[in-house]
Amino acid sequence: MYLKLAWRNIWRNKRRTLITVSSIMFAVVFALFLESLEKGAHDVMIENMTRFHTGYIQVQDYRFEDEPSLDNAFYYDDSFSVRVRDFELVEYTIPRIETFMLAAGAEVTRGAFVMGIDVDREDQLNNLKDRLTEGKFFEPGDGTAVISEGLASRLNLAVGDSLVLLGQGRFGMTASGLYEISGLLRHPTREMNNQLVYLSLPDAQWLLSADDHITALLVTPSRSRNIEPVAEQLRTDFKDEELAVFTWREMIPELVEALEFDRAQSRLMMGILYVVIGFGIFGTILTMTLERMREFGILLSVGMQRIKLAFVVFIETFFITILGVLAGFVLGLFPILYFHFNPIVLGGNMEELVAEWGIEPVMPTALSPEIFIWQGMMVFILTTIICFYPTIKILTLKILDASKA
Amino acid sequence: MAIITTQNLSKIYNPDTIPVHALRDVSLEFEEGEFTTVRGPSGSGKTTLLNMIGGLDIPNEGFVEIDGTRITGMKDRELINFRLNNIGFVFQAYNLIPVFTAYENVSFIMLLQKREKSEMKERAEELLTAMGLSKKFDSRPKQLSGGEQQRVAVARALASRPKFILADEPTANLDTDSAMNLLDMMEKMNKEENVTFIFSTHDQRVIDRARRVITMVDGAIDKDERKSPPSKGESELSEQGDDSLS
Repeated sequence: MYLKLAWRNIWRNKRRTLITVSSIMFAVVFALFLESLEKGAHDVMIENMTRFHTGYIQVQDYRFEDEPSLDNAFYYDDSFSVRVRDFELVEYTIPRIETFMLAAGAEVTRGAFVMGIDVDREDQLNNLKDRLTEGKFFEPGDGTAVISEGLASRLNLAVGDSLVLLGQGRFGMTASGLYEISGLLRHPTREMNNQLVYLSLPDAQWLLSADDHITALLVTPSRSRNIEPVAEQLRTDFKDEELAVFTWREMIPELVEALEFDRAQSRLMMGILYVVIGFGIFGTILTMTLERMREFGILLSVGMQRIKLAFVVFIETFFITILGVLAGFVLGLFPILYFHFNPIVLGGNMEELVAEWGIEPVMPTALSPEIFIWQGMMVFILTTIICFYPTIKILTLKILDASKA
Repeated sequence: MAIITTQNLSKIYNPDTIPVHALRDVSLEFEEGEFTTVRGPSGSGKTTLLNMIGGLDIPNEGFVEIDGTRITGMKDRELINFRLNNIGFVFQAYNLIPVFTAYENVSFIMLLQKREKSEMKERAEELLTAMGLSKKFDSRPKQLSGGEQQRVAVARALASRPKFILADEPTANLDTDSAMNLLDMMEKMNKEENVTFIFSTHDQRVIDRARRVITMVDGAIDKDERKSPPSKGESELSEQGDDSLS
């Protein structure tokens, strides 16, 4: 009957209830959208960085971090790959050999970032094959290269043309090679799109005099939450070897700091938003409480315990909050879904800014249940705190004064 | 034996600024089954006296005992429980729970007493029927007339099987027919179930029906009169004097 009392009290003043529910609903929608947009933007940054640059975890020679040179590449063969892949929570591994070289067409020479890769395994991480805009990917050891569109444009090259790579291989060996361009791809980040050359892993190892060596083995855990446990397992296993294990957070701390800074700003914004929402809800609860002082007095005088009365009022506020939060979830889902599949494309200065970071100039919303849970919880906690007001009022109410109200 | 005893009750409002003596040294006893009105001009202390007896207000001096239990000085929680199980209230403005039906309003008190569901149902139906509201079980207060609402309020007050009922100006908002009807119901309950009623009122119709009339002036008992014989409509009063306690 207490629930019935609470539920009917809510609808006693429909307009007031609808106003409160609406204010909570719009607050939830706004908070959800902001949080989702922020998380979406962060996810793009992390995805760009991890999928196309660092991977989630890297195994390197322990000297490579201080001196990223081919001299600090490490021995790699199938048995090593199998050994790492056999770790619990590891889904797959990707070998890479990377270095900077000069890339030349018929007339122009530019600096290029050369990556020796296993296309199929790379594709697992970043759908690289889908990035191909022209031609096809190479077969291992077939002597062809795939280059990014930006570099092709700078070198004035197209599919079928020849590309010269010139640089330094392992232990100071001269590295030079002539490759037919088998395909062009569009890298999502502008910086990489202007300098990327992909070779097959065997071709790159041969070019760089680094047979059976790679500069990094990317390790992808089964779930993103397993990054730390997998890295820890690998560190334990490699402790007697000259290998080091890094997570993406350790490899790109500047990104982590930027994200933290951005998150702190968002928290501040959210804080202000919650204060505004809180005062809105408080205003309604305050009015509702003052309007009902007489009723509270009567209920206490006929024998209802204060704590039970406070409970009924709490249940009322709880119902209103739940209605507002659920309505907010439903309404908030539409813009979140829309912008998830149709991300906001940044233009102008913003595009320039994020391009400098090597990040795609898009802002999708994130579809993450934790956003809904978190925002729902926040509004719920807020309402619960606000509910202390009527509770305190009821607990300290003077029955006679209230009955005369 | 008296079920209610007030001993030297005094109440002073605003003692530090402009003191108002709402009650002055009031000592009374009420027997089970009495049908009593407390009358007097506005500000004479009628409502204050009822509030003291109901444990809604605290005296500056003196005490109230109900069936041997001193309620003055009880803790808030104990007092609320005591009221729930021993005292029924009927207010001038009915004060029903607006979102509950007549039936639910009556049952609610028993729910607070944690009575069995079947007992709640039986008692609520019995009381509402006795109050002539058998067709109004599912009506909410705003669907009822003032008289009907007050009868629901009386049924609610009786639902908890209290030792007595305090009714503060119960007929003040009612037309003559409704007031007479309500008084009939309460008198019936008094006679048939020996329920003790104490009214505060200005209403001569109530005073005429009462078997004991206490008159208050300036917070003190001016007269305490009993009718003899105690029958409906008899207006002859047998004066017993200020200090006559039964």
